[in-house]
Order: sequence, then structure tokens, then C-alpha cells
Amino acid sequence: MNLYEMSAAMLARKLRNKECSSQEITQSVLGRIQAVEGQVGAYITLTPEQALETAKQVDKRLAAGEKLAPLAGIPIGIKDNICTKDVVTTCASKMLHNFVPPYSAYVVRQVERAGMPILGKLNMDEFAMGSSCENSHYKKTKNPRDLTRVPGGSSGGSAAAVTAGEAILALGSDTGGSIRQPAAYCGTVGLKPTYGSVSRYGLVAFASSLDQIGPLGRTVEDVAMLYSLISGYDPKDATSVNRTYTDFVAGLNDFQVNGLKIGIPKEYFGDGVDQEIKEKVLAAIKLLEKNGAEVKEISLPSTDYALSAYYIIACAEASSNLARFDGVKYGYRSGKGEGLTEMYEYTRREGFGDEVKRRIMLGTFVLSSGYIDAYYKKAKATQAIIADEFRAAFEQVDLIMTPTAPDTAFRIGERSADPLKMYLSDICTVTVNIAGLPALSVPCGEIGRGLPVGLQMIAPHFGEDLLFKAAHYYEKISGLRLADVAAL
Amino acid sequence: MEIDVMKIARLSRIKVTEDELAHFQKEMQNMINMVEKLPDIPVASLAPDKDHPMGLRKDEIQRSLRRDEVLQNAPETEAGCFVVPNVMD
Repeated sequence: MNLYEMSAAMLARKLRNKECSSQEITQSVLGRIQAVEGQVGAYITLTPEQALETAKQVDKRLAAGEKLAPLAGIPIGIKDNICTKDVVTTCASKMLHNFVPPYSAYVVRQVERAGMPILGKLNMDEFAMGSSCENSHYKKTKNPRDLTRVPGGSSGGSAAAVTAGEAILALGSDTGGSIRQPAAYCGTVGLKPTYGSVSRYGLVAFASSLDQIGPLGRTVEDVAMLYSLISGYDPKDATSVNRTYTDFVAGLNDFQVNGLKIGIPKEYFGDGVDQEIKEKVLAAIKLLEKNGAEVKEISLPSTDYALSAYYIIACAEASSNLARFDGVKYGYRSGKGEGLTEMYEYTRREGFGDEVKRRIMLGTFVLSSGYIDAYYKKAKATQAIIADEFRAAFEQVDLIMTPTAPDTAFRIGERSADPLKMYLSDICTVTVNIAGLPALSVPCGEIGRGLPVGLQMIAPHFGEDLLFKAAHYYEKISGLRLADVAAL
Repeated sequence: MEIDVMKIARLSRIKVTEDELAHFQKEMQNMINMVEKLPDIPVASLAPDKDHPMGLRKDEIQRSLRRDEVLQNAPETEAGCFVVPNVMD
């Protein structure tokens, strides 16, 4: 087995036992990148020298007997909407083609402090708006399980890199499913953490009340390790929650599924969801039931309104957040137009792609005089109802389980002409962001010729511990080997 | 609900030309038709949530970015300032 194929947990043990060095691990992953990146296209920017230098330092410190963080020496890729000091951060947009942040995001500083070599910046849909990675200004990332298909999005580069062995771990961001849906499409594990548990300082904002940075990896344990590193209170993010964040790895193996109450919301198994996906997901839940879990049908009746409420709130916030891209402080500036206002208008015309323009305009519309009551305020009221329904459901059950996506990875180009069709791939994930809950996607089988299916587990606020335990348990009993590196 | 794309584009500070209008009109209209699916409920109050006020840090002087760091990404600067096109004659 090559080093790039191993899990972070395995590699961390090998490092401690001096069976390999961080430089060897990093070289192995860089070699894999060199071999398959031409086919996959997961990265926008590669930083191999920087990664090897970090690895060298970690090896020195380990040799000197220093006690380092559990993930020290394990290479990671970072989604390109997370600021990295002195390394260009484009958000996959022409607008930020030359933006070199003068500071690093909180999560990047955590990764650097832990001694994780950073391999580079990962492709995504422009400003995290999209579900296929096809909205990137730079390249289309391919799904490593089937190169004719999309990896999902918006964190498609993150999921593809981990799946292809081009990174051991990755950071993504999730506003409406952008970590979980690509994790499901690529057959890997991804967590959207509780809102407020991971600092957004240094994350380029899309919809601030919904955005959350989270980890992707090939095993639940790896994702729990990275979440343990990045979660925590940060005074630089006003929505960061000040509480005690424990280590999420220690108790993983002690978990017993006996008595775990699982809720199945019938609204997530309706007509819009592929029949074979429903079967795979229900089979996974059945397996947990066979091992001692209690399964109960529940109802989240307002689910039908979630996609509307989500797109209204997310676009409204985006229209405000993206107002900062004006050709003055950073990024692209057009040479066309007369005067300041036309400079803004041409800069934004030329700097943004069509999907970003559509969402800014939708957001401007739903906030504009005469329409704000009918759209934005009503969406906010719907958000409160959806959150209440989850709260009531969690009085009856410990976890809620659903499909992560209503379908498997679709073909490149298949939906790019129809934005609405693209939005439908978020129907199972947006409610979680609307309610600020944590949710994890874990592979639960495959359909047809190896297209992975994701099982979404949803927990109450700050219920990550239970998510990891239940998902790790499922991983063990399912006997699936889906989270392996894709053969390319 | 019908959308006036030219007006919204102006408010959004995005230049949309006449020949793109039909294309954007159709797409924006489809998006609006989709998001109209909302329950018939009273609208929400957008007043701040009194039970969960946003935490504020103490107003203390601390190191922040230097001026040259703030300006390093600007398309045009002069004498330590951002430069923009003339706003008056």
C-alpha cells in the first residue's frame, strides 16, 4: 500500500513509530498529484515547496523527541475560498485572480500550528455558488470514481483530491451542502459542523449566517481528527460559540448502537429522490437497526419550503457580502466605463461569472423595496419554522438519517444549461444549514458502475461527538471499502 | 411576480447590456418562480434577537494589518491611498 492511500490515523501512527517520515508521506502525495492531477484537476494552486518545508520541520522536531499535534506531518489541501497568507486565494473567480491575502484564516493557522504540510488550494464553484465545480473560472474538476462525471460542489476539489489520493485530508466550506454533497458524489466522508463551532475568520463570505468550514477525509476517524483541530472559540468571528470543545477521537471505538434512536423523515424519501438511493440509505439504516438501534419514522413537514427559503436567504446575504468586490481594494478592475459607478459596473460584469451574477441579482431583488416582505422576511419566518421542527424531532430521536443527495454524480455538462436543475441536488442538505445543525455524509454503497451513495446523519446542535461515533460504527459494520482511494 | 432586470442590475452595480437582457430575464424569472414556494405565514420580524445578542470584543488596541499590507492587493494606489476614477469634475 502506498503512503498516499493510507488514512491520516494510520499515517500518524507510522510517524510516531518512526516507520516513515513526514517528508516521505508528503513526497508520496505529491507524486500522486503529479501522476493523476492532469486527469482530475482538483487544484487551482499547488504549493509543493512549502509543503515539503513543513514536512522537513516536523521530521526534525519528531527526531528531537518533541510531542506534536496528532495530525503533525499529515498533508492537507485547502479550499480556495479560505485565506492563506502569501498564497493566492481566488475563490475560483476571475474577480480574485491575483488576490494574495495578507493574513491566514483561523483554520489555516490551526493547520499550520499543528504542522500539517499544505499541498495547495482546491478548486470549487466560483464563490462557492454551485453544486458541480463547473462554475469555476479556472477548470472543471472530474469525479475520480468516473472522470466523465462531476465531483459535486461547491467543495468539489476538496472531495476529489481526498478521493484520488491527492490529499490525505481537506478543508471545505458548506453553505447549503457544499461539503456533504461532493463527499457523497465522490464516496468520501464530509462534515458540516454546527454553526459557530469553527471560526469563519478568513473564509471569503458567501452567506454568513449559513457558511461553515468543515473537514473531508477518507474515514470518519480522519474527519473527527481534523474537526478536533479546527473547532474552537475565536474572538475574531462574532458568531463563534465560546464553549468547551473536546477531543472527538478518543471515544470513537467505545460506542454501542444499542438504544440509539434514529429518525427517518418521510419528506426526504419522496418523489425527487432516486429509488435506488432510497434503497441504499434505508438498507444502511436497517443494518444499524439490526445491530440494536431503534428506528422511528418522523415528519419534518416544512421541508418542501426549504429550497425556496435557502435560496432567498443565501442570495440576499451574498448580494450584500459580494458588494465588497468593486475594483478598488483588491482583485480585478475593468478599464472600461466613465467615472466611478461605471467602473464598478464593468468590473463586476467582467469579474463575476453568470451564476454569481444571477445570485447577486436575485438577492438584490428579494431585499428591494416592495418585495422584501413577500420574499426575504417570509423566508426568515420559514427558517424559524424549519428550525423548530428539527428541535421537536430531536426530542424524540438522537439522530436523523436521510440521503445526502437525491441522485448520484451527474455527467459533466448535463445540468450546466439549467440552473434550476442544478439547485435540486441540494434538496436534502439545505435544511441543515437553515437550522445551523451539524451533519455528516458517509458512503453507504454504490449504484451501477461504481457511483457512490451518501448517507447523511444529522444531530442536534453540538452533537458532532454522536455523529462521529455512529458514523464510525456504521463504517465498521458495513464492511464497505468505498472510502478507498479511487483507482485512476 | 415579474422582475425588472435592468433596474436590479443597476442596483447590483452589474452592467447588463440590451442583447443579454432576454437571457437574464428568462433565467431570473425562473429563479423567482422557484423561490415563490413559501408557506402562507406571517412575515418575520427582523429585529435583533434579544435573547442571543452578538458578542462584542472589548475595544482594545491590538496589532492589525499594516497599511502596506492593506494596500498590497489594490489595483491602483497613490501616496498610501486607494485610487478611484474621478467622482466630480
